[in-house]
Amino acid sequence: MEENQSGRTRKMVATYAEIAILVFLIVLFSILNPTTFPTVANVNTILNTAAVPTIIGVGATFVVLMGRIDLSVEGIMGAAGLAYVLLSPNSRTSADWGFGAIVVAIALGAGLGLATALVHTRLKVPTFIVSLGMWYVGLGIAAVLFGQEMQPFLSDPNAPLWPTSAPLGVSNSYLVALGVVALGFLVERFTRLGRVPYAIGNNEGVALVTGIPVARYCIYAFAISGACSALAGVIASMSLGAGAANVGVGMVFFTLAAVVIGGTPLSGGKGGVLRTVVGVLVLSTLYNGLILSGVAPSLQSGVSGLVLVSAAIAAGWSQRNHLRVVK
Amino acid sequence: MSSAKKTVNVGFFLARKFLTATLLGAFVWPSVAHAGVSQPTYPKSDLLLVTTVINATNPYMASWIQGSKDLAAKLGVPLEVVQSNGSSQTELAGIQAQAAKGKKIVLVMNPVAASNVPAVVQTINANGGYMVVWWNMPPGTEPKTSGDHFVAFGTYNGITAGECGAEHLVEALHGKGNIIALPGVLDSTVSQERYQGLLDTLKKNPDVKLLDTQPANWDQAIALRTTQQLIAKYRDKIDGVWTADDAMMLGAYQAFNQAGRLDKVKFSGEGAYPPVIDLMVKKAGNGAVVASAFHRGYMAAATGLLIGYKAAVGDIDVSKLTPEQRHGQYAIGCVTPENASQYQANGGIPAGWLDELIKNPFKDLVGGAVAHTAN
Repeated sequence: MEENQSGRTRKMVATYAEIAILVFLIVLFSILNPTTFPTVANVNTILNTAAVPTIIGVGATFVVLMGRIDLSVEGIMGAAGLAYVLLSPNSRTSADWGFGAIVVAIALGAGLGLATALVHTRLKVPTFIVSLGMWYVGLGIAAVLFGQEMQPFLSDPNAPLWPTSAPLGVSNSYLVALGVVALGFLVERFTRLGRVPYAIGNNEGVALVTGIPVARYCIYAFAISGACSALAGVIASMSLGAGAANVGVGMVFFTLAAVVIGGTPLSGGKGGVLRTVVGVLVLSTLYNGLILSGVAPSLQSGVSGLVLVSAAIAAGWSQRNHLRVVK
Repeated sequence: MSSAKKTVNVGFFLARKFLTATLLGAFVWPSVAHAGVSQPTYPKSDLLLVTTVINATNPYMASWIQGSKDLAAKLGVPLEVVQSNGSSQTELAGIQAQAAKGKKIVLVMNPVAASNVPAVVQTINANGGYMVVWWNMPPGTEPKTSGDHFVAFGTYNGITAGECGAEHLVEALHGKGNIIALPGVLDSTVSQERYQGLLDTLKKNPDVKLLDTQPANWDQAIALRTTQQLIAKYRDKIDGVWTADDAMMLGAYQAFNQAGRLDKVKFSGEGAYPPVIDLMVKKAGNGAVVASAFHRGYMAAATGLLIGYKAAVGDIDVSKLTPEQRHGQYAIGCVTPENASQYQANGGIPAGWLDELIKNPFKDLVGGAVAHTAN
């Protein structure tokens, strides 16, 4: 328990590395673009860009904390997003499930997450490969829902405006993300469901010997991750005003990179939801800043990759001398 | 006696010759069924139509599949759809699996990557079937130098398509203003051609300034995110948005809708997706969408499959096709708010189009290879 306490203190200290990277990017881009970057409108643009990956990142953090990985994000986003659009008033069907459409979409995501966890825990298949498969199962569901008819568009002209409008000063999509973060943080700090993943990630063998039902917590974590991806799919589809199977394109890389940059290593056992929030902000700021600074599109992905590697080095800097295995 | 024996022997010899010739004839029969054509031909029952799509969740691909299905139904030949999920390897493996079924393949292909084409040509050569490729082909590969089995390559003139959007955008801005451009991906020939069409138009209209160019990967969601950043960067300086495809235009359109600037910005796309045509007919957002080049996956797939099919059954002689028929560009239209309503019914495909096509698979051919000029 004391060991755990001191570990947490170290983690708190290490958090500043990620914040320092974020501050560095903000200062750098503000100097490069003094009139466009440090503005309220642009901050809202960054937060709006960060909303979807933040929601996914909260769920992904629980999975990564246990040393597992969930690659099914983009498939679940596509399936849940299309389910939401087709159950809401749209150009193709006459369905109008109201808020129920969001509930069904989230349940679909949680179900796919559950399926990943069941195959992993019952049949002992690594999560990397099961969730990779589930990515394509999700895309397959999305393809079936999409069919070969015209792309479904949301009928409510106000629906696409909702995620970006900011009646409270911050865009609605980021407020939803903050709500998910708050929930994730409360679970992480004050419930057994939040604490056990650290124990499993630190040493799964010990966790098993001490009677922790690892499989059950895996199921919880993947269901949470699936539900978060589904909610992200709903918000992204709402923003698009249309159903698209590839609505989550690029989100696996974005989110997992954010989790790691934030300081939750893929080996698990340390890190947390708030760190992921910072990781997402680093990448969203970078994405925005590179465009604002006029970096040539052909160089943007290379620069993003370099910053990702540098940030991962910085995030792991305090741990580099510890006797540990890095895979 | 000996004479009689000789007669019997000669008779036996002739009978054997006849039998051999008959058997040989039966064996090579498909190849000589149409003595007028130079390439091997087959009866309809030996054929399998194969159409490839990059994915099945894009309006263009959905239209492509529909065109393939409608033609297959008209011809009465089975059809298989190979879906590659954006993977060159999956595409190649899918085509090879169809070729292994034992039938002669008639393939129309929309390659994931140009580099896939030579391997597919090899597969079809080995199978003895026929293929037609649309959109992408590696430099140096040409149907006429690849043998008779690679019958034709077809494309739409991307420069003309890019100009359709750009010219109407310039006109809507009254020749003065600032625009942003969203091409597809950097290394796509199709995207580069359309972008060249934009640049050519801007050269003639120096008062329209191109503020920024950000490729959006042909994707609606990426276009939305990218445009949000560009709005943050240029705020109310943007008067127009040129895109290399309607999916990206719809993403950009939504970003300006969210920013509350839809009625102050003009948009042009490519592909004339039905929802985009609807936006033009409705003159949504103060007539925000000003143009989109028209062509359909339906038409490309049906045309390609039919050319391959006609080569396979011997209705056309591959060696006698003109250079334009083997590598040519097909007609595109330019949809604007003025003529958009003509394109609303049946996805813009004229009634009886398929029947006309079956009479002449090259009916929409308008020229040879697209000429590229340096910018």
